[in-house]
Formats: sequence, structure tokens, C-alpha cells
Amino acid sequence: MTNQTFGYYGQELGERHEYLTLAFSPLSAPLRSRWRNNGLSADFLGDYVTTFLPADGSTAAAEGGQNEIKHAVTYIANELLENAMKYHEHSVDVPIGIHLELTSTQITVSATNGISNEQAQCYREFVERILQEDPGELLVRQLEESAGSEKSTKSCLGLLTIISDYGAQLGWRFETHATYPEIMTVSTSAVLPLKNLYGVSA
Amino acid sequence: MKSIKGESFEVRLEDDNHTVAFRGALRLSGMEDYAPILELLKSTLVEPARPIVLDLRELDFLNSSGITMFSRFVIEARDHTGVDLKFLASESIHWHARSLKNLQRLMPALIIQLT
Repeated sequence: MTNQTFGYYGQELGERHEYLTLAFSPLSAPLRSRWRNNGLSADFLGDYVTTFLPADGSTAAAEGGQNEIKHAVTYIANELLENAMKYHEHSVDVPIGIHLELTSTQITVSATNGISNEQAQCYREFVERILQEDPGELLVRQLEESAGSEKSTKSCLGLLTIISDYGAQLGWRFETHATYPEIMTVSTSAVLPLKNLYGVSA
Repeated sequence: MKSIKGESFEVRLEDDNHTVAFRGALRLSGMEDYAPILELLKSTLVEPARPIVLDLRELDFLNSSGITMFSRFVIEARDHTGVDLKFLASESIHWHARSLKNLQRLMPALIIQLT
């Protein structure tokens, strides 16, 4: 299968300032016991990003803007990590990564994991739906549909909330794994333009 | 009073049986884990219907599975005749204003009181 990108992926705007990557080896602990780790990592990224935002803190608005960005990064990182952990292909030793990058104009949060070719196909179909439809309407429809089924559905609701509630632009890259051709690695990236968040710039 | 507690959260059904208060960070891993909380919420839907209040003013974080849980409850309440449902939310917790509006799209009569 060929490598493909979708949506807003790898759009570098402005000078690269700071970045941080955390990587996890999914073989080292079962999903349930590493679930807590998602929250800890997401909280850490949210705290970390505020270090690089205007630090004058002199006005309530500036403080409010910082909290807003911190929350947005924490929420997005948590959702991307949860998805990466849930859908990761556990049969091979490929790490799960979460990456935060800050430029003068935007914050990018991206997660990478391994998935089976079959999962990749399902995910790609969902990505195409997201790109074709209005995310707000798709979100409400998915909420209605998920209420009708007793079991958890793979609704990718987290991705829709990232676009609809946080105004982030999503992008995806699917690549065949160099060592394990039976799986693919997928990177899901969310870009938050800083100007959308209370006019704060780094 | 009935409550469900986790490492980072507490959900409390008050003795009046129509107020449910949430506190902390809810980031459970899926609908199976959220099922006990959803059941507790559904226990407020009794006949004859009474106003139900969900107090989220101390709920700092909610993941998308938690949003799904609230959606399921809101849809159930919407389809239950005569239920008035109100969410108490906080302006200083940013996800409240951002995400709760989606629940209103599911149930236009839902009241979200931001303070």
C-alpha cells in the first residue's frame, strides 16, 4: 500500500521554536494499566506549552488565554493518545508516540501508532468522511447514532470534537512500516492556530 | 446519597434524587467503564418527571467517551415525557462552553447555566 497524506498535514508555518516527543512501548504494560498514563502525559503537554506563551500574566485576559490553550492542548493530546492506544497494533514492537510542536503562529499535537492494514482502511474511510462533511453536523449525527447502540462504537468522536469544539485542523499520514510490511504507521496531527485562541501569540 | 468514586473523580447523586454533582477529571476508557455513571444518571428519570440538575461546575476535564455518556443520557431524557434538564456549568472551565452546546443540539429544551 502506498503512503498517503490527508487533510492539513505537515504544514509548517513560521519558525520552529520548541518541540517535545514522548514515546511508549505498548508491549510493556496492558492497556488498562497504561490508560492512566494518557492523562498524565496529556496534562504534562498542556502544562509544558504554557511555558512558551506570553508570561506577563498581568491581565486576567492573558491568564484566561493561557488556560484556554493549556486546556485545548491537554484535551487534544488526551484524545489522540487514547485513540493511538486503543487502535494500536499490538502484535509488533512499534512505539506509540505523542509529539508537541510550537511555532510563532501555531501549536501542533500529533500522535503516531501502528495499525493493521484492515484498520488503516477503516480509518481512511472515516478520514474521507470527515473531510467531505461538516464536522459539527457529523458530530451530532454520531452522538445520536452512538446513543442507539449499547456497545462502544468506533465513532472517532474525539476527532470530531477536536475540529468542531476546538477549531483545530486535522491531518493524517499513512505509511507502510519499513520493518513490518504487514502493518502501517498512522500519524494524526491537530494544528491549533494561536490567533484563534484569544488572540494570543507565542 | 449515592456516589461513584474513581482515582480522579467523584459523581454524587444527592438525597433529593434529582441533582447529580460531578467533580474532578473524567477520562474513563470507554462506554463500559462509564456504564455505572450512566445508570446512576438514568435513575433520576422517574415518573412523574421532575426537574433534573447536573452540576458540572467542578468537573475540570471530560474525555470524548464522557461526552458520549452525557449524550446518551440527554437523548434518554429528551425521549422521556415532561423532563426538564439543566446543566450547571462554569465559565472558567473552558470545555464547558465549547462542548456542552452539542448536547443542546440533541435536546433544544436543555438549559445550560454558565456562571
